[in-house]
Amino acid sequence: MIRERVFKIISQLMNVPLEEVNEDSSPENLERWDSLHHMNLILALEEEFKIRFTDEEIVQMENASIILEALQNKCANA
Amino acid sequence: MLDVTYAEIQDILNNSKVDHLPRLNISILRNVMVESMLPYVKFLAYKMGFAAEIQMGDYDNIVQESLGIREGILKKETDCVFIFMKLDNLSWGLARKFSALGAQDVQNEVKRIQDTIADILTGVRKQTDGMILWHGFELPLYPNLGIWDNQTQEGQAGVITELNNFLKKVLRKVPNAYYIDLNLCLARMGGKTFYDERYWHIGRAPYSREALREIASEDFKFIRSLKGQSKKCLVLDCDNVLWGGIIGEDGISGIKLSKTYPGSPYYEFQQEVMNLYNRGIIIALCSKNNDEDVREVFRNHPDMVLKEENIATSEINWEDKATNVRKIAANLNIGLDSLVFADDSEFEVNLVREAIPEVTVLHLPNDKTVEYRNILASCGLFETLTVSMEDRERGAMYKAEAQRKQLHCQAADLETYLKSLEMIAEVKFADDFTLPRIAQLTQKTNQFNLTTRRYSEADIKEYMEAESADVLSLQLKDKLGDSGLVGVCILKYIEKEAVIDTFLLSCRVLGRGVEDVFVIQALKLAKKRESEAVIGEFYPTTKNAQVKDFFPKQGFKPSSTSPEEAEGRYLFLLNQPIRDEPSYFKEIRHLFMNKDYQ
Repeated sequence: MIRERVFKIISQLMNVPLEEVNEDSSPENLERWDSLHHMNLILALEEEFKIRFTDEEIVQMENASIILEALQNKCANA
Repeated sequence: MLDVTYAEIQDILNNSKVDHLPRLNISILRNVMVESMLPYVKFLAYKMGFAAEIQMGDYDNIVQESLGIREGILKKETDCVFIFMKLDNLSWGLARKFSALGAQDVQNEVKRIQDTIADILTGVRKQTDGMILWHGFELPLYPNLGIWDNQTQEGQAGVITELNNFLKKVLRKVPNAYYIDLNLCLARMGGKTFYDERYWHIGRAPYSREALREIASEDFKFIRSLKGQSKKCLVLDCDNVLWGGIIGEDGISGIKLSKTYPGSPYYEFQQEVMNLYNRGIIIALCSKNNDEDVREVFRNHPDMVLKEENIATSEINWEDKATNVRKIAANLNIGLDSLVFADDSEFEVNLVREAIPEVTVLHLPNDKTVEYRNILASCGLFETLTVSMEDRERGAMYKAEAQRKQLHCQAADLETYLKSLEMIAEVKFADDFTLPRIAQLTQKTNQFNLTTRRYSEADIKEYMEAESADVLSLQLKDKLGDSGLVGVCILKYIEKEAVIDTFLLSCRVLGRGVEDVFVIQALKLAKKRESEAVIGEFYPTTKNAQVKDFFPKQGFKPSSTSPEEAEGRYLFLLNQPIRDEPSYFKEIRHLFMNKDYQ
């Protein structure tokens, strides 16, 4: 469930079809995913899941699977 | 106002076609990162019917770009320039190290910043006349001097406030330049929500997503006002909106309305409505009630803030509200998209929203009566860049208009009626005193407007000073009152032709033959300026159908025999006689009252 919601937001923020988003999605393979869109993605995820990442978590979130893991931890602790 | 999430906004923007929309050219000069604001900016522009074209200045390059060092950031077509000059990146001393500064250091920094502000404003204005929105300095949440800060003559908060006062002062002197109070945005949401310290450190982006949404919303109050999209009339329900309870059941002594709880939310809401009234917003009533019951409250309830004289028109009956809202627009002679309908009933709000999508609705939920005042004050729908004398007197003008309608019903024919009004029209050249109202009319007038060109005060000033253009205003009064400045005409002289660039009348003086007086004056002026012909232009919009035959009616001929080639251009050759002024005016004061004009 979390996975689908995260992928959907990545697809919206990076303006790519949902089918093209997977665990390996990252700035390496999605053209729009630069540092600014990374920030916008974090802001959108925080709004969607009503959570807040720390600065260290933010800079370490280099691809979709790390984001997913961080989010699952947050939501489990909440 | 913005009830969609950040991801949803991105989705809407990704999937919307905006190529056909008019552009809204926004340039952003900044010394911090505000990029995350752009989705909000684009979305708000899209909701206004525009495609935002954003030019982002380089990080911390405000001064350089104001001087035009990078091409394409500021252009003639720029509609709006946002300036974000955050104190922390401009003066580390004043913002963060204040405790270490001596009086002289402070003075030096203040002087340096003032000079920088003045240079930037001069530089920007050389490149564009577009609207400038300057986001002022924020006050520190925790002053560097602690609780002592406000006890000394020259504390940090005091110095920053003075800088903001300086900024406001210089912005007031620059046409079409405005101060955006970030401290208001901050106060509304609280410092903890306003700032995002993580991204301040990671990427010098100080403001949170929520803050950027609030700031963008604030900026768009100005842009909507500039583009003539502010609302003109608030249509109010009565029961459970102006007072608690049902007047038909509870009676005048049973309804909740007082300075103390539980009547106080309604009392304070009415006070907020009065603030709109005093700013020139028309107030109307739309209520399912017996007319007499409502009137009794207005006349006899001791805690009514709103009085009968504040209400321009009312539809108090048992018909459905969509029908009544349409009647209100017709009574007032304004477009449905100028109306805001406020009601506590979800049913009525949805009904009006479905039946008349042009009308903006404001739902006042019954379980949040204590918030009514804030819902109205924060809606941002009625904002105006200036409040003119006309605005302050608009309520009285609409009352007079109602009386005119009554006279009209009594008179045998139109001419007799118009004569009975004893109208005095005055046509004169624009001056500094009338300039703000003239710009405002070009921004707000939709119906009797031949070209619907929107102009800022700076634009109008330019035409006033140009050799090749004249700006005319028309003022009207009659025995029932002074309608003020209600007409604008701009003539541009191109070789031997005078082009009517703008010709508009405020909707509250339609049907009184004022346009005849005005057009005759314009023709006479063109002749005096030695033009050989006058070109009238008509550009159709969704709202100005009533003037589509205006020029033919005034004796103009299509500029070409084929309608396609004519393209809404009409011709009046000045070697033909200009007809006489209409006879039903008591007095017409001309452009030049001296003899050589005739």
